[in-house]
Amino acid sequence: MNIRFYILRRIALVIPTLIGLSILTFSIARVVPGDPVGLAAGPQATEEIKAALRRELGLDQPLPVQYVNYMAGLFRGDWGESLYTRRPVIDALRAFWPATLELTTAAVIIATVLGVPAGVISAMYRNRLPDHVARILSLFFVSFPSFWLAMIFQTWFGLDLGWFPISKRLPVLVAPPAATTGLYLVDSLIQLDFETFLVSLRHLFIPALVLSFGAFASITRITRASMVEALEKDFVRMERAIGIPYRIIIFKYVLRNALIATITVISLNFGWLMAGAILIETIFDWPGLGLYAVKASLSLDFQPIMGIAILYGIVFSIVNILTDIVYGVLDPRIRYG
Amino acid sequence: MPELLNIDNLHLEFDTYDGVVKVLAGVDLKMQRGDVLGLVGETGCGKSMTALSVPRLIPMPPGRITAGRVTFNGEDILSKTESEMEAFRARHVGMIFQDPVTNLNPLFTIREQLVDAVLYQRAQGQKVPGRWRGFLPSVRQMRMEAHDRAVELMRLTGIPDGDKRIFDYPHQFSGGMRQRVLIAMALAGDPDLLIADEPTTALDVTIQAQILRLIRSLVSQLGLTVLLITHNLGVVARSCERVAVMYSGRVVEESPVRELFKNPKHPYTRGLIAAVPQKDISRGGLEGIPGMIPNLIDPPAGCRFHPRCEHVMETCRSAVPPAIPVGEGHTASCFLYPEDA
Repeated sequence: MNIRFYILRRIALVIPTLIGLSILTFSIARVVPGDPVGLAAGPQATEEIKAALRRELGLDQPLPVQYVNYMAGLFRGDWGESLYTRRPVIDALRAFWPATLELTTAAVIIATVLGVPAGVISAMYRNRLPDHVARILSLFFVSFPSFWLAMIFQTWFGLDLGWFPISKRLPVLVAPPAATTGLYLVDSLIQLDFETFLVSLRHLFIPALVLSFGAFASITRITRASMVEALEKDFVRMERAIGIPYRIIIFKYVLRNALIATITVISLNFGWLMAGAILIETIFDWPGLGLYAVKASLSLDFQPIMGIAILYGIVFSIVNILTDIVYGVLDPRIRYG
Repeated sequence: MPELLNIDNLHLEFDTYDGVVKVLAGVDLKMQRGDVLGLVGETGCGKSMTALSVPRLIPMPPGRITAGRVTFNGEDILSKTESEMEAFRARHVGMIFQDPVTNLNPLFTIREQLVDAVLYQRAQGQKVPGRWRGFLPSVRQMRMEAHDRAVELMRLTGIPDGDKRIFDYPHQFSGGMRQRVLIAMALAGDPDLLIADEPTTALDVTIQAQILRLIRSLVSQLGLTVLLITHNLGVVARSCERVAVMYSGRVVEESPVRELFKNPKHPYTRGLIAAVPQKDISRGGLEGIPGMIPNLIDPPAGCRFHPRCEHVMETCRSAVPPAIPVGEGHTASCFLYPEDA
């Protein structure tokens, strides 16, 4: 089986997952206690007004019909509209989602770039000073609540030292780069607008750093553990016995064996960070999806809730596919198996 | 001219939670260039540890060499730094191990591993330009030569279609073929000494015979010096010229192979040879040596074999017997000798 077929099979397997997810979120959104229409229509609304609203929203139809309509809408780009703002969900997702994606991706990148080397060094110097330093650091960062660290960093680096801005993606007076992807870093590079790139990088850095700490800790720990395990393998002794230099053994032969576990943790973290970004977004006034999601769920605004769930589902599936592809690239036995 | 390998009075200990394990207690072993020496003994007698001490692959700590010397071509190995050892292993020593399944890296093609073996063994500790620099003509040339050498090594070790199979992964090879790949890797830099640590134990019997035949043919083709570690006297009989018998951390007898089987001197060797199952075992079942292998944390004083020895004398309980010549190139460490004393 070649790698192309392997990738296609992975993608095909995602489709039933997404269908399942849509049925689940759809059902949950319809059976939650409380009356979203009543909430939306206001306390003074009469039964007639509520019934009219239900009819308008299609909520008077049988559930399967509603589901089919909803799914058909999804493919047309009609993701429903908010009961309160009466604005299309898809517009809100377009406006808020790139900010969250940029923040989360940056956090995952920081966590990986710091965490994997820290784990490797830990394993190489097992139970010696560098190992202790890396382990204490990761324990330290994972033990503090991120909202507290966020505020501390805001105070130190933003206010006291003045190195970084303390909120938002860009200064109020700077126009965002023309939206191609909605990710300011990418868009500004496409426009070759390096000034905006640097400014938005400075805005992004502290929130992404704070968000990355938990992931950094788990990536460091899993990399250390799987490196230690891989270092015990017979082939390491064999490679040493025939004169392959130790650093080549570590960084070429052992690391690849250890990375499978690390990749898994990185992709899981990506999902957790997407969901967990809300606190950081609130503290840094980051215009992401988190706040939108919280408002929607508090007011039982079911269309945005479903839209967000489905969007997260799609993104998580994409991350999973990428993870599977990386597995296949790293380990031929998975690819051929 | 000095011996190729001289292990002199090597003492090795391991720190464990239960106490200090005295693994090697004065191993003496000499090898000349061209020797094919079998090192036999029971599990736990220290034969693998003796072998691993030559390329210095014993983890220290917890291991600790408390006395003795290991010299190779007259060079003191134990005083080398780790980076000198890397160059030493690349240049002088090739090693193959017991289990060909776990000794190949599963994530890399045979080509990747074999070409690296060729490149790094040729470089002998010097830097090797990485694969990403393959756009440079000189690097390209170097890697192509290494590839050709790798295919040649596969042919030499009897792997059919080496030019195609080199692109395969280890899991696409059978156990016997993997062991051939490992032998090819060990030989990539024309080592002076090939250490084979139970190379056939994990293979089934027909494949064992093939691998032994391969090692023998490599010895005659390349003039290899081989230290073959095994617990199987049959393997020794078929493959080696000389044999050293180890018991509990010491070499107790050393002799040419025929001489040892015809005329074993040390009581332990006699027991070992008597314990080899005969074709017709219906007569008396399997023979064994009474007693157990000694506890290495608190080993018996004097000759470590004395609690199991039928010829035990008073001196055996307190003094360690020296190696006494008992024949042409034949020594035994036992107070029974010299017989006229």
